[in-house]
Amino acid sequence: MLRKFWCLLFCLMCLGNLAKTHPHVFVDARTGFIFDDSGNLRALRISWTYDEFTTMILFESLNLDQDGDGLFNDADRAAVIEGETHWDPQYKGDVYLEVAGQDYPLGRPEAAVVTLENNQVEVSFDLPLSQPVMVGNTPAFLRLYDPVFYYAYTILPDNDGRNVPSGCDIQIIPFNPDEAERELQQELAALSREDTPSQQDVGRMFSDEVRLTCG
Amino acid sequence: MWVKFGLIALCVLAFGTAVWSVVPWFDIQHWAAGEQRTFQNAMAGALRGIQTGDPFATWSLCGATAAYGFFHALGPGHGKVLIGGAALASDASLKRLIVLTVLSSLAQAATAILLVGGLVFLLQMQSGDLADLTEQWLAPASYAAISAIGGVLIFRGLRNWHKMGQAKDPAHACCGHAHGPSVNDVTTLTSTRDAVVLITSIAMRPCTGALFVLVIAARFDAFAVGCLAVVTMGLGTAVFNLTVATSGVAARRLARLGARGNDSIQTVSAVLHVAGGILIIAVSLGMLLPYLT
Repeated sequence: MLRKFWCLLFCLMCLGNLAKTHPHVFVDARTGFIFDDSGNLRALRISWTYDEFTTMILFESLNLDQDGDGLFNDADRAAVIEGETHWDPQYKGDVYLEVAGQDYPLGRPEAAVVTLENNQVEVSFDLPLSQPVMVGNTPAFLRLYDPVFYYAYTILPDNDGRNVPSGCDIQIIPFNPDEAERELQQELAALSREDTPSQQDVGRMFSDEVRLTCG
Repeated sequence: MWVKFGLIALCVLAFGTAVWSVVPWFDIQHWAAGEQRTFQNAMAGALRGIQTGDPFATWSLCGATAAYGFFHALGPGHGKVLIGGAALASDASLKRLIVLTVLSSLAQAATAILLVGGLVFLLQMQSGDLADLTEQWLAPASYAAISAIGGVLIFRGLRNWHKMGQAKDPAHACCGHAHGPSVNDVTTLTSTRDAVVLITSIAMRPCTGALFVLVIAARFDAFAVGCLAVVTMGLGTAVFNLTVATSGVAARRLARLGARGNDSIQTVSAVLHVAGGILIIAVSLGMLLPYLT
């Protein structure tokens, strides 16, 4: 009886946590994998296209387009790059790469580019891996998510034909509500067997994934 | 006595769990986020219309903010859980809850207007700082206040239960009059003080979406239009919260159907206070925890 009670309490707290699904910023993301000459994964190419409302907020908060012509000049672009890619060391850029089942450390953004199209700001940059890595049969997963879900990322197909080594396959797996629900049920089932609940990010449950397999 | 309390509590919990497990939360959230995105873009379009002097832009902005408020309220905050829990626990009439819900949403809009009017105009604060202030301080403060209200509900339920127990105790019953509380003693939310506390705890945290609409409208020299749009956003939120309040009242009435006589009604009321309080505390603590760690 008491255990049931604690279980229910935990469920409710999960619900409170899930209820953090409260995105304010919507980002259309495109991702690419960059390989070096020997076929190792060297860097990720990430691009974020912000929704129109967030773009307006960016104009206001960074005081962009002061001449009011609706176009970006060099100073505007520099301000956006500064704000978007010079992030705190603790922040991971909401980019998470999993290689062989482990979180793989990433470096800092390089080669950032900013454009303004259809009233939407787009920022793209390279994110080098701390060390190039060979991706084999075990898939590598790339996920873009904000742990507190203030930002909602949707990964769109990238038609940028970068030279992916032959034998490698890239697949986008969109977020699936049923799948996420099943995962949560499993967590709860594990809890009722008095296992330690794993500290899984809620944002991760809601994220699209890109799966890379080679060989 | 405690067995009865436990049995009723177990029924309420079992019923709540059953209802909860059939609701497809992930689908709802996913769908709501998509709708929110649509209306967020519509807001941006309308704001651009205001900038260029489109005569209909005010109306399309108000329409978009109202819809945004409704879908945004499906997410956390906006006092949905508090209102639902209070509706479940309290004895306030549906009419009173409707008034409280609408007032709390409008008060939330007023907080946004005051914050932007005061901090951005007078203190020249940047909108980013304003959003940080809201997310880092006002949001957790509001969750803490809401948890405290949950605590008060549990306390009232248990205190009442304790009083009923004492009244049955022969040592106390010897004087020939009842010490047990009357039905009126267990009511919550019927006083003005309770109502003010409830509204304040919700209004403490303005919606960041509302703040941004105001800041952008101010940038386009249309602060008054922004205020109107934020009020309609509050009304949109209120419409969603009203469905929650109504469900809370319906659940309370359902739970009382089986109760006959003063004793049973009080037992059910005490259990509902505790259940509503636990619901409010659990969800708001779940939202507060990420701020504490």
